[in-house]
Amino acid sequence: MKILLDHIIPTPLKDRFSQNGSAIWNTSVQFTQGEYIKIKAPSGTGKTTLVHILYQIRHDYEGKIVLDDRPATAITGDALALLRQKQVSIIFQDLRLFPQLTARENIELKRVMQQPFYESSVIHEMAAELGIEKILDQEAGLCSYGEQQRIAIIRSLMQPFEWLIMDEPFSHLDIENTKKAAALIARECRKRDAGFIITDLDEDSHFTYSRQLHL
Amino acid sequence: MHGLNVLLKKIIRSGTGRSRYMMAMTGLSFAIILMLTAVQLQADYRDLLYSKNNRDSVANFLVINKTITDQNLGATGLTESEIKDLQNQAYVESVGLLTPSRFKASIQSASDRFPFYTDIAFESVPKEFIDITAKDWTWNENAMFIPIIAPNMFLDFYNFQFSFSQNLPQLTQQVVKMIVFKVNVYGPKGMVTFNGRVVGFSDRISSLLVPEEFMNWGNTIFGKKQDLKPSRVIIKTRDAGNPQLTAYLKGKNLSTDADKTRFSKYRRVVDIVVSISGVTGIILFSFALLVFTLFIQLTVASSREDIRLLITLGTSPSQLRGFLFLRFLPGTLVIILLSFCMVGIIQFLLYTQLTNQGIFLSRLPDITTVLAALLIAGVIWMVTGFSIKKCMKEPLELRGA
Repeated sequence: MKILLDHIIPTPLKDRFSQNGSAIWNTSVQFTQGEYIKIKAPSGTGKTTLVHILYQIRHDYEGKIVLDDRPATAITGDALALLRQKQVSIIFQDLRLFPQLTARENIELKRVMQQPFYESSVIHEMAAELGIEKILDQEAGLCSYGEQQRIAIIRSLMQPFEWLIMDEPFSHLDIENTKKAAALIARECRKRDAGFIITDLDEDSHFTYSRQLHL
Repeated sequence: MHGLNVLLKKIIRSGTGRSRYMMAMTGLSFAIILMLTAVQLQADYRDLLYSKNNRDSVANFLVINKTITDQNLGATGLTESEIKDLQNQAYVESVGLLTPSRFKASIQSASDRFPFYTDIAFESVPKEFIDITAKDWTWNENAMFIPIIAPNMFLDFYNFQFSFSQNLPQLTQQVVKMIVFKVNVYGPKGMVTFNGRVVGFSDRISSLLVPEEFMNWGNTIFGKKQDLKPSRVIIKTRDAGNPQLTAYLKGKNLSTDADKTRFSKYRRVVDIVVSISGVTGIILFSFALLVFTLFIQLTVASSREDIRLLITLGTSPSQLRGFLFLRFLPGTLVIILLSFCMVGIIQFLLYTQLTNQGIFLSRLPDITTVLAALLIAGVIWMVTGFSIKKCMKEPLELRGA
């Protein structure tokens, strides 16, 4: 799936975003499937806004987004759900887990939401890889931020996708765990011939990026 | 899908509304039982009136005449329009004219061993209104005898009063049917004597009946006046207890055997009881449905944030609606089924109780009760679907957040 951003300007940032040098805002940019896109920007410049616009949970912007040949605004209801189940997965900065569910149930939810992409045993394998297999049956609300972030990462990898959108996905992880998580994400993207869009504050070498864009 | 629903069940909880749910379900049960009972009672009543087991042939034929008052003495004939009007009433299946003999007649014994003599008058009625299927129920000028149907009460009167007072033997129906007697008919040219024989006894019409052929012939040859208006008619009705019929007769100053229409009073009572039960059921059902939809709304509202997150993560609106539907509907279907079983048990108890008294009801609920239960299920189905759709609208419009 190709993603075209055509002169997007978020309404809240309209008056204060810098006219000079943004590779995303108010310009035309296209992402091709399989690309690893890094979007770097300091705090408050709209990284999360961009992620939410891409994932279509924010609609307060000017310009238009086209997914393949479909305007994003035309995709609603069950069609939008289908897009989120099969083509676009996400790791939110604020994680968005169900605190009353266990870690395993949070991950399982995304596995069974559509025709399962993986057997349920894969949950345990990935959790072991990221070092959270022991807290799988613990309520997510009782897990630490670092653990919750790894739960959110595994959850995003339970479904088929063409694009993985990540909003500062390693913000609560130490270097060692970040490496493990990045390796897992890269492997899963390769498996699906998928691309990703990742936002972060700084330079990094977690992945071999196709493009690095400044917001 | 099953796995998803298990997780959705954990996410979309309804613990806070449990008591409301129980209240709605209890109300719903009572309402459905009341409504189904009303339908079943109506069906039972219909069954009592029309089924072959219970059909009381007497009750379905009514002889009707004008109520005699001081004002209409001697003018009690029924006009053609009055008869036509009666025929047009929905509850009247057919109307037959009772033709009275317009000639003087008497009967007397054929032998002196058993002497009797009495002046008499006859009536005739179309064949389909007679409850005796006598093969000899016809007459022509060459016939050996005139067949006669006598009212049962004539024989009772003879057996239990007259025979005692006159020191005569009691007679069975069979014996009476064997007696051939003389029928004398007096005309302008003198008396003609025929043989007569009782071929049957009836409870339906309290007069001596002769075949129409004889009556028409006799009235033509011996009749004093021609073209007299009929004073009595017999009607066939599906329900002699129909209050509308009773009201009609009263309104038109007509009277009939009150014993046969007394059922209309019970019918009115049954109608009122059934109506009260039905209306109470419908009102209770409406309130219970209201509480039920409020419960659905409360569940969705209290899980609003969770539903939004589910949509954000990619749960489709139809998945959520399907889940909520499955969550709420089976409970109500169980309630309908239990209520139906309850009505079934009541019906069975009624059946056993009334069978002992010679009243035969079906031991199973009527098909209309089954249809009513299905209709109720349909209404609940629609209301649930509509309610879920309505209260899911807002979180869906947000497309997650």
